[in-house]
Amino acid sequence: MNYPRLKDWLDERYDWEGIKRLAKSKLIPEHRYDLWYYTGGITLFLFILQFVTGMLMSLYYVPHIDFAHKSIIEIVTKLNMGWFFRSLHHWGAQLCIAFLFIHLFGTLLLKSYRKPREMVWVSGFILLGISIFFGLSGYLLLWDESDFAATRVATGGAGAFPVIGWFIKAFLRGSMDVTGDTLLRFYAFHVAILPILTLGLIGVHILLVQYHGMSVPLSLGTEKQKEVPFFPNVFYKDLSIWLVVMGVLVTLAVLLPPEIAPKADPLAPPPENIKPEWYFLFLLQTLKLFPGEILGLNGETIAILLVACAILFFFLIPFFDKKSSRGEKSPLFTWIGVIYLLYFLTMTVVGFLS
Amino acid sequence: MKLNYSLITRRTFLNTLFGGWLVAFFSGTFYALLRFAFPTLGKEPDFVVLNKKDFLNLANNTIKRFPWGGTVGLYFTKADGSVIALKGVCSHMECNVDYKPAEKRFYCACHQGWFDENGKNISGPPPKPLEIFVISAVGAKLIIAKKGVKVELPKA
Repeated sequence: MNYPRLKDWLDERYDWEGIKRLAKSKLIPEHRYDLWYYTGGITLFLFILQFVTGMLMSLYYVPHIDFAHKSIIEIVTKLNMGWFFRSLHHWGAQLCIAFLFIHLFGTLLLKSYRKPREMVWVSGFILLGISIFFGLSGYLLLWDESDFAATRVATGGAGAFPVIGWFIKAFLRGSMDVTGDTLLRFYAFHVAILPILTLGLIGVHILLVQYHGMSVPLSLGTEKQKEVPFFPNVFYKDLSIWLVVMGVLVTLAVLLPPEIAPKADPLAPPPENIKPEWYFLFLLQTLKLFPGEILGLNGETIAILLVACAILFFFLIPFFDKKSSRGEKSPLFTWIGVIYLLYFLTMTVVGFLS
Repeated sequence: MKLNYSLITRRTFLNTLFGGWLVAFFSGTFYALLRFAFPTLGKEPDFVVLNKKDFLNLANNTIKRFPWGGTVGLYFTKADGSVIALKGVCSHMECNVDYKPAEKRFYCACHQGWFDENGKNISGPPPKPLEIFVISAVGAKLIIAKKGVKVELPKA
């Protein structure tokens, strides 16, 4: 392919050669941990797919309690390929959260968060929070009995937070209970507010990564690593991995389309053996560890406070880990990272099996 | 009176003025946005009025559900035929509870909480009993009210 006139057109207006030089100058270190570099790209790819499939479904979804459930059933039963795109959106979300956690723990254990990359960690962490809220808000849009109960529990749990709990709960629900107001509110979050925030933060996150370059793990020492150009070497690898992820995703979407439970009924009890989405299981299991009352205080409030503290500490790890910020090995924070990871994995598995 | 020297420079004065203006502008804007985004909340009802004939001759050891604001109330006929009304919402995480006639207990599926026939929490995470309502009958109407609430029906 060669379009000399197009090339000239661009050259006369933009520093095309400069852009090409810049692209060529981007180098990526090559070492035995470099596979972790691809987890962020995979998440980005899944985000793009979520945006596309989400836009498609927003053409037909009706965010109203009387029609929401019916409109999704119509999407999966009457529209061309509707079942496929809805399934793709469901599985895309699952994989997206899974890869976010992989990306998070990879960054944590390789200490890529250390100085000067604290803000990359911070922007990424906020993106994880937003993604989980994406999951919660998207789940309610089905308006079936499982997500109805899940939303009551999740927003009610936020309400157990001392002092500002009632505010968060009312703000999320839009009314006293989970009602049509909540559905509309979660719809607004899911399709307007969160996507805009996500786009901005992804922009910041990626710009910062370009600015700092890729972090090389401390354990590889200070000697210069072998580097390969991003274009085309790493870029092609990225694309091949994305293709594999796409293959896995489409396979899951085709073979295991998600169920839609009966329409939510505020009067009916939730189904037996109801479970939240898998990424909330560790929270659920943690809450189960606490009795209803501890020394006369509400056990739930204490549990929520402790969880909030643990998450806040996790968020601030780059600022606590002074050793690695000086470029020294920091085994204490490796252990802390391992404990967090094991806790998350164990509680998720226990929650899944129980 | 003329001062020989100025306490603040012209720059400090202007920075404070514009800075203060910016802070005032953005806090006002943000407050207004938040006020709009924060819902005007409804209130949990003090009582609900139901038709008595819907609740006559119910089988023993069963529940009948009725709407209680945005949630659910349970009209419960015990195994011995006596009747109570309670709020069908778990005191733990606000899931709706179900009645298990075989065990003669209320059960919350969300976190495996159990309540006995009188709504007392007996096992699992629920920290408090289910809320018990007061049942009264006025003509063809059945009134179910929170405890200690004075029921004033609107004049027809």
